[in-house]
Amino acid sequence: MAGVGGVAAAAGYFANLWRIGAAGQVPAGDAAAAAILDGPLQTLDGATQNLSGFRGRILVINYWATWCAPCREEIPLFVRLQQEYGAKGVQFVGIAIDQPDKVRDFAREFRINYPLLIAGIDAMELSRKAGNKAGVLPYTLVLGRPGNIAASLVGGISEMRMRAQLDPLL
Amino acid sequence: MILRWLAILLVLCSSFAYAAEQDLLEPEKAFAFSARVAAPDAIEVRYVIAKGYYMYRDKFRFALEPSAVGAGPAELPPGRLKKDEFFGETQVYRDEVRIRLPINLGGMERAVLVATSQGCADAGVCYVPVEQKAELLLTAVGNFPAGEEPLSRLFAGSRSPDAAAKGEDGLVADLFHGETWLLIASFFGFGLLLSFTPCVLPMVPILSGIIVGRGQHMTRAHGVLLSLAYVLGMAITYALAGVAAGLSGAMLSAALQNPWVLGAFAAIFVALALSMFGFYELQLPTALQSRLAGASSRLHGGHYTGVFVMGVLSALIVGPCVAAPLAGALLYISQSGDAALGGSALFAMALGMGAPLVAVGASAGALLPKAGPWMETVKRFFGVMLLAVAIYLVSPVIPVTAQMLAWAALLVFTGIYLRAIDPLPPAARTFARLSKGAGVIALVAGIAFLVGALSGSRDVLQPLSGLRGTAAGAPTGPGVAFQRVADLAELDAAISAASGKTVMLDFYADWCVSCKEMERYTFTDPAVQSRLAGMIKIQADVTANTAEHQALLKRFRLFGPPGIVFFDPAGREIQGLRVIGFQPAGKFAEVLDQALAVR
Repeated sequence: MAGVGGVAAAAGYFANLWRIGAAGQVPAGDAAAAAILDGPLQTLDGATQNLSGFRGRILVINYWATWCAPCREEIPLFVRLQQEYGAKGVQFVGIAIDQPDKVRDFAREFRINYPLLIAGIDAMELSRKAGNKAGVLPYTLVLGRPGNIAASLVGGISEMRMRAQLDPLL
Repeated sequence: MILRWLAILLVLCSSFAYAAEQDLLEPEKAFAFSARVAAPDAIEVRYVIAKGYYMYRDKFRFALEPSAVGAGPAELPPGRLKKDEFFGETQVYRDEVRIRLPINLGGMERAVLVATSQGCADAGVCYVPVEQKAELLLTAVGNFPAGEEPLSRLFAGSRSPDAAAKGEDGLVADLFHGETWLLIASFFGFGLLLSFTPCVLPMVPILSGIIVGRGQHMTRAHGVLLSLAYVLGMAITYALAGVAAGLSGAMLSAALQNPWVLGAFAAIFVALALSMFGFYELQLPTALQSRLAGASSRLHGGHYTGVFVMGVLSALIVGPCVAAPLAGALLYISQSGDAALGGSALFAMALGMGAPLVAVGASAGALLPKAGPWMETVKRFFGVMLLAVAIYLVSPVIPVTAQMLAWAALLVFTGIYLRAIDPLPPAARTFARLSKGAGVIALVAGIAFLVGALSGSRDVLQPLSGLRGTAAGAPTGPGVAFQRVADLAELDAAISAASGKTVMLDFYADWCVSCKEMERYTFTDPAVQSRLAGMIKIQADVTANTAEHQALLKRFRLFGPPGIVFFDPAGREIQGLRVIGFQPAGKFAEVLDQALAVR
């Protein structure tokens, strides 16, 4: 009886490890990141653009929206960090699941110094594959220079944590 | 003993790790949506909001399709004030909100309510606006349940949890469905039967004596209570084992679709069955057994706690007859993956095992059946059951012919052992006659399977169908013309090519019995065919179970066929409309109507 229980438990334990690994804290790494870099987005003027032009830099892709209170709270931090880390090869990019004029007004008021792009629901789908399982905002992806997912952060981020993610990648 | 606790601890730890990963709820779960027709001119919309989540009062939008049904302004109850730095003071809803939506029937009978809402979590994240749909029958008023499971068009791709609902999508999990009480009752019966095995039953009077203790004045009621304490100790120990088995099984359920794993399980069951037939004995190592027996004998009867602990220990000293069926039961439960059910089923089983003990205590020995050779028959009965479960486990992954041959072998051998072909002695007792009768039935059924397997029938439910020339009784009518896809790329191409029409995707495999039934009985029905004519029909034959086939199944979170999935004209899956398992033509036609109604 002990033997059967032990086998069942051990099997369960390892199967669970395998399952968590497979589901992935950072699943499918490069494939999901590549899909995000290539996904079509819109500039505030309505032109189509994607993120492939930023390849080679340390990318911090922040999914946000003006109607999302926690997202707005961390924007001033990102503006500051962009100013500080920009010369070292870090590029912040904001992807807003929002309307262009609202984003434009917000950008002006908060003096956002990094590119802002508009996306639809399909972008959320891509972010799910990268690790945003419940499909929420804010969601921040940090990509290393080779294009791999270095961090997948759901929810607001503190300054300390953001620096901790960026410093090792420089 | 320590090993056991360690094992249980391990299982619990890994289950917590699993749970922690799912901290954030999906929007449909965080904001559970439902709608009902409250009055001839009003719909009541209800959101049940999970703890730690809230919805914005001013972000609700309601629309009705078709537009002939008019909707007035929604009556939103006042919410709680929340200070927002950007928007100022906003009102939010928590826990639950009911919104009354006045409508104007416009002569329509059905309508689809499209509700858009927005919410956030206190944890510091917000959800994109979520669109949910409910279909309502406007003619019925009152507590009419919302027609459909809420649809969410936002995140295309299968995220509906109904993949595990009904039908053949989980071998043994299937058997646990719905009839919980029946299952628990049958485990009780199983336990009772186990107590009649040769190693348990003779012990009952002795145990009774030990429980009561020596030199004590005992009323009968007190004796019964002591026996109950003993049985309770046993039952709780078994229940814990059941929970551990259920928990570990929940994580194994995906791996259990692997043919090798299924084969290993079946082999274990066969090995257990052979021990029941007397080829060898299965029991705890004698060293452990004697140590536990020593510990038990040091406890004194007559006291409740002592007797309780005795019960716990007795659950651990499993004797040879009980070990095999018990291990079988644990494996069975681990397949279902339901810890709560596992715990209660094994609790019931232990109660069954202890029932004779309580009966003896209550009746002072009068109720006890006499030990005899019939107890060997009980052991062998368990052996046959274990073999049957082994065959059932492997059936999806072995060819149908092999499956039928296995059943044939089991039935024929059982029939022979039940003396089906031995002449009855003239003075045979009733029991002998009955068992011979059962043996004959088993023999004939086994022969039918044998003939069926050898005559090329591919249908386990109708083994002799191969003998029929033309299918006389089978429904005539042409089948359905399916477009075949072999992998995800072809599927996506077919769905995008079909834009503008509803799409039906059918998963099929040669060994899938209900798929065959659908083809034979449902798809040939004229009512179903007329509805199918307006749809694009795609079929994925996953018999070969290649990597591409597995990827196809995985996308829809199916473990295997059967499974019918519908896509709306825009190419997104229609949630809540999956068909898993056989559905008769009438019901399937209704499902098709609902699929076609989604625009």
